[in-house]
Amino acid sequence: MKNSASEYRLEMSGISKSFGVVSVLKDVNLKVKSGEIHALLGENGAGKSTLIKILSGVHQKDTGTVVLDGEVINPKNTHEGQVLGINVVYQELSLVNDLSVAENIYLHKLGASKSWMNWKGLIKDAQELLDSLDFKIDASAKVKNLSIVQKQVVEIAKAISEDTKILVLDEPTTVFDPKDVKKLFQILFKLKEQGISIIYISHHLDEVFKIADTVTVLRDGVDTGSMPIADTDKDGVIHLMIGRELKDLYPKRDIKIGEVPIFQVKNLTAKETMVNDVSFHVKPGEVLGIAGLGGSGRTETAKLIFGADKKKSGTLILEGKEIKTNSPVDAAGYQIGFVSEDRKEEGVFLPLSIRRNISVTSFKSISSKLGFINVENEYKKVLGLIEKLNIKTPNSEVNVKNLSGGNQQKVALAKWLSIDSKVIFIDEPTRGVDVGAKIEIYNLINEVAKKGVGVVVISSDMPEIMGISDRILVMHEGTIYGELQKQQFSEENILRYSIGEALKQYN
Amino acid sequence: MALTIKQQLSTPGGILKFLVKYNTIFIFILLVIFSALISDVFFTSVNLSNLLKQVSGIGIISIGMLIVILTGGIDLSVGSMVALLAVTFAILVNIFALPLAILMTIVIGFGLGSVSGYLVAYQKMAPFVATLALMTIARGLSFIYSKGSPVTFTTVGGKFMSDFANNATLGIPNIAIVFFIIVICTMVMLRYNVFGRLIIAIGSNEEASRLSGIKVNKYKFLVYAISGALAATAAIIVASRTNLGSPNMGMAWELDAIAAVVIGGASLNGGKGTAINTLMGVLILGLIGNILNLLNVPSYPQQVVKGAIIIFAVLLQRFESK
Repeated sequence: MKNSASEYRLEMSGISKSFGVVSVLKDVNLKVKSGEIHALLGENGAGKSTLIKILSGVHQKDTGTVVLDGEVINPKNTHEGQVLGINVVYQELSLVNDLSVAENIYLHKLGASKSWMNWKGLIKDAQELLDSLDFKIDASAKVKNLSIVQKQVVEIAKAISEDTKILVLDEPTTVFDPKDVKKLFQILFKLKEQGISIIYISHHLDEVFKIADTVTVLRDGVDTGSMPIADTDKDGVIHLMIGRELKDLYPKRDIKIGEVPIFQVKNLTAKETMVNDVSFHVKPGEVLGIAGLGGSGRTETAKLIFGADKKKSGTLILEGKEIKTNSPVDAAGYQIGFVSEDRKEEGVFLPLSIRRNISVTSFKSISSKLGFINVENEYKKVLGLIEKLNIKTPNSEVNVKNLSGGNQQKVALAKWLSIDSKVIFIDEPTRGVDVGAKIEIYNLINEVAKKGVGVVVISSDMPEIMGISDRILVMHEGTIYGELQKQQFSEENILRYSIGEALKQYN
Repeated sequence: MALTIKQQLSTPGGILKFLVKYNTIFIFILLVIFSALISDVFFTSVNLSNLLKQVSGIGIISIGMLIVILTGGIDLSVGSMVALLAVTFAILVNIFALPLAILMTIVIGFGLGSVSGYLVAYQKMAPFVATLALMTIARGLSFIYSKGSPVTFTTVGGKFMSDFANNATLGIPNIAIVFFIIVICTMVMLRYNVFGRLIIAIGSNEEASRLSGIKVNKYKFLVYAISGALAATAAIIVASRTNLGSPNMGMAWELDAIAAVVIGGASLNGGKGTAINTLMGVLILGLIGNILNLLNVPSYPQQVVKGAIIIFAVLLQRFESK
């Protein structure tokens, strides 16, 4: 199937992909010319990553064709993708820390090379490659001794060390300071001159308009537009990124929100994550939404407050009194709850029964002074919660791993409801949950709020966060970038704050 | 940023950093000085050559343990394998010509290691569990084949091996030479051979290695097989020293081997560890036993001291990673 007349180096057409019943990509087209920088934009969950993973061979498409240089390609794994000349620099660094920079750059070649190392040649080649990128990195240094920016550059060097036709960069600048961003752009322009096609995924519209030639926008798994960058502007792009309708999914709320904040955070800064100078408060009965893009520090903020990460500075005030949460044990002691986004790893004990999952946070209230569990109390509490939360199960002894995602999430919530929390952080409450269970979880959140609990919900799902929150904070690069009151709620406003833009002024 | 030793020592806190970085060698030298001071017998050639003979067997399986641990795995079967393969070698050397008996024993060791390797790499069994199973199987088989009692060498080949194992060349016991050669080969492999670099890569970041097109399963399989082959080599040596193969050999050696690797600064998470440091770990463990013997300390307190040294060495390494 030669089609050399095409002006495009890469043509992905009619790409669809579903995971189970969830349709992630619907009939998506992406066309990239050689030697162009092509920006791929879209909200969280719009399908950008999935599209890239199909291109690189991580996932297999359900329908559609991918044509590279006139040939239909179908990479079954990343290795096949690399051989075809498709290289991806992922956000999560995929370097081997205990090896040298040079070995990392040529790791894919080591796997296929002869038995003996040619150290001199290896380091010389790697050093030349790094020097050509104009970043000072010693090719013989161990990767674990590099800074994050240097590691990212090594990733890029690794990607272009092969015969690369398509280079995909997924949010490459999140860890860069402006000076380094400039250098990165110089690298990209150089690669572009060499005829390499670059697909550039970024949430920074400023950057996109600085370097991209063409832009394609995805929304909810559909491509909503593709055009030369000169033919559009930021507003045009933002318009293409949003525009969903609010479904009638969100229960009406009629809760009296207290006047005095139940919980306040002042100038919270993390020791090891990007969270920086975060201040906010939540009132009793209020549902406070925290929006922002992936990597903006939402989850990290919650973990910091909960004592799971280390704090550098800042104050927490619960019911007017300053508290210190140096560990999750402290936080739980103050009746602060945290429902993790990573339900399976951090939220529930999959191999244990519902009863054991729920009672694990409430041993104090169900056990005697000597620490023996009062089984009668335990059952009473657990069965009460199962009924109240409408967890669909024959009995309390079913292992949590056998429940559906929605019911697992209810168990995770029940853990914290059983100790009468004062503040609860819920991270991505409905990820991987079907619509029916979603509504039940929203009702549950309202019920919790009704009891005078301050509820903080972190969510990437824009309709959801607008549907359930009384007030929304938007995070950007580790800090609270803006706050939206109910009448200001719109996807456009959230998105503008998320990408570090100001709200549009309407006269 | 490679600093010379002199530069390292002249930076603030440099001496401490230097000691922490080379803590294994430092502990080793301290122990040698200490031993020489408190015992007149320590620096005699008889004692030193005994010490080397004692550690060679455990030393060889420690090298196998090192390459398994470098991939992030563990091999608990090596002690029992020494027993089974020592019995096997004693039986084989009484039937076949010596070179053939040696070759067959090593091939059988490689094969037994391959079973662990297959279970870990291709059946995704936890290394601890797979090799624990192999450990009891190998011990059981060694009693079955030996009918519970030692198998003595009876042939000329056996006599030759026993002479070899108990003699020295240029003052160094022959079996220690075998051990040192294996250490040197491993050093070279881990530094200059692609296989060595790739097992470090796998232990350091298995997913990144897989994404780079490295056949992760193949290498994980191979390290257990090589560990088995090295257990066979150790078995031949210890059997030859005593002129017999006994099902009671190698009791708890896997633990000493793990201890030696860990004292040598390797991380049980994989990716970190060198052959020279493992050699130091082996010598440190041997030295402790040796000096306590010279001081007539009974074996139970010896175990307590050994444990304390392991804790001390690993605590020192924590400073290094900070």
